[in-house]
Amino acid sequence: MIRLSGLSKTFGQRVAVDDLTLHVRAGEIFGLLGHNGAGKSTAIGTMLGQVWPTQGEVLICGHDVTRHRQLALQKVGAIFETPVFYDYLSGWRNLEILSHYTAPTPPERIREVVEWVGLTGRETSKVKTYSHGMRARLALAQALLPQPELLILDEPGDGLDPEGIHEMRQTIRRLHRELGLTIFLSSHLLSEVEQLCTRIAVMNQGRKVFEGSLAEVKQPKNWVRLRVNDFHQAVKSLREKNLIVDERDGQFVALASEVDTDVVVRRLVEQGMAVYEIARHEQTLEDFYLGLMRDDSDR
Amino acid sequence: MRNGERVAIHGSTVQRFNGSTVQRGTMFYLQLRNELWKLFAKKRTYIGFLMFLLAQNAIILVFRFTNGPRVSMMRTLEGNGYVAQEFISALTVATFMLLPIAYMLLPLYVSLVGGDLVAKEAEDGTLRMILSRPVSRLRLLLLKWLGGAMFSFALVLALGLFGVVFASLWFPWKGLFVFIPGELFSVFDAAGGLQHYVAAHLMMATKAVTVMGLAFMFSCLNVKPAAATILALSFVFVSFIMQNIPYFRDLQHWFLTYHLNIWQFMFAQPIPWWKIGESLSILLGFNLTFLVIGLTVFQVRDIKS
Repeated sequence: MIRLSGLSKTFGQRVAVDDLTLHVRAGEIFGLLGHNGAGKSTAIGTMLGQVWPTQGEVLICGHDVTRHRQLALQKVGAIFETPVFYDYLSGWRNLEILSHYTAPTPPERIREVVEWVGLTGRETSKVKTYSHGMRARLALAQALLPQPELLILDEPGDGLDPEGIHEMRQTIRRLHRELGLTIFLSSHLLSEVEQLCTRIAVMNQGRKVFEGSLAEVKQPKNWVRLRVNDFHQAVKSLREKNLIVDERDGQFVALASEVDTDVVVRRLVEQGMAVYEIARHEQTLEDFYLGLMRDDSDR
Repeated sequence: MRNGERVAIHGSTVQRFNGSTVQRGTMFYLQLRNELWKLFAKKRTYIGFLMFLLAQNAIILVFRFTNGPRVSMMRTLEGNGYVAQEFISALTVATFMLLPIAYMLLPLYVSLVGGDLVAKEAEDGTLRMILSRPVSRLRLLLLKWLGGAMFSFALVLALGLFGVVFASLWFPWKGLFVFIPGELFSVFDAAGGLQHYVAAHLMMATKAVTVMGLAFMFSCLNVKPAAATILALSFVFVSFIMQNIPYFRDLQHWFLTYHLNIWQFMFAQPIPWWKIGESLSILLGFNLTFLVIGLTVFQVRDIKS
């Protein structure tokens, strides 16, 4: 659905996106993670033909966006971080205006989508009377009108209250389940990505530092939390016997494959150390993300 | 055939949506209608119409209830052997009002709208929404320019209509007298005067469209809407000031404003068609240049939040 190859974009001297290669398959919910200014929105801008790449190729639905923008975006819907509309017009009129840039849209289709997003009864009110949540629904409606196969969401949870974020998350799941859409979303909210996406990519300072499935993120190493009287001594002792492959934060060790906690405890007790606690620890996306950022800045 | 698929029928490309076949022209019509909705649903679009109403009524009342301008006009007419009362009419007053409004207010209000057309959408963020759709930047700008041109025509039409309607409330329907010191002195009967009045407005529409096009060009740059309007007005007023400096008198036909104000020659007897044709060609050149510069700048621009 989306294929970026060696994509770079510079604004003057500043490199916004650096050699980004990405592949999003049909039917996926793909998350692009990164802090503010990491290059996510610029990458999305190039996917929609709004930002011209300095280098590289952007294929959307099999078409090169820079050369065949109209063909590439025929089956694409997009929502941006702050839903903006013509406030002085009604929600209905806004939908008509925006959908007609893709194709003439009959009123029945607009009515159907308005109902789907739950705006029935308010569609004829001026958008300036809408709450943030209603604007988010209207944004979704305009994205759905052209019957897209791919939905691109740029920071969809931005500015929403917890209830709004929950509703947005449910909607994204529903879109994926009921309409079978491929969804590409960018976010700096780790929990949002963790709960929605099947695969992710992480960007830092314009570069991709990770691409893979959420399962890979959560179980890359066999982490256990270890509380002993001398953590550094314990690590040294366990490394001597190749029982661990990594350690971090003064309390976590990653066990070598085929090694279980009883072996670790036995070794430490034999070395005369007091073991107060040992427990399996599943790595969260936050742990993983912070680790990536740390590793990247160390480089 | 899939929904949205493009097919060729009778040699023209058509697109199929939800079971109906829609001509490209229909798409263009719908998109142009949308541009007009956006434009005419905004309150600020009507500032020009409102100000014309106020300015024209103020001028009419001054003309009706004070002696200065009326006496001066009567003296000019009688000094040239005409019966002044035959020409102090609705048409004469409407034309008398036209000069200050067309010189000062018209460029202001068309610039205000022209400067908004692209820059306001970019500033608000709606441009990003539009450009996530499969519409080309060229098509989008042409639609916007066309919307702006239609507004300019409407504004000039309103100017002409308001003038003649409100003047008719206070003055009789008689002959037309037009006097621009150093430029022209013309008298017409009521029917002929009306024809010249209408023709002058048609020609004035080219002025309105050109100034709108100038503001539109600046609007395509990465600037705020107000900056686009101010740049366009500065261009027009600087050109006007330079054109009227005695040193540049012989070179006045090099200035845009000289050609913009060619509409006033529609009141000449006889109408200098060659001069008007020349100015129209030059204005066409200016318009195309403004449009091409605007399109080129917009085409290479990155649209970001």
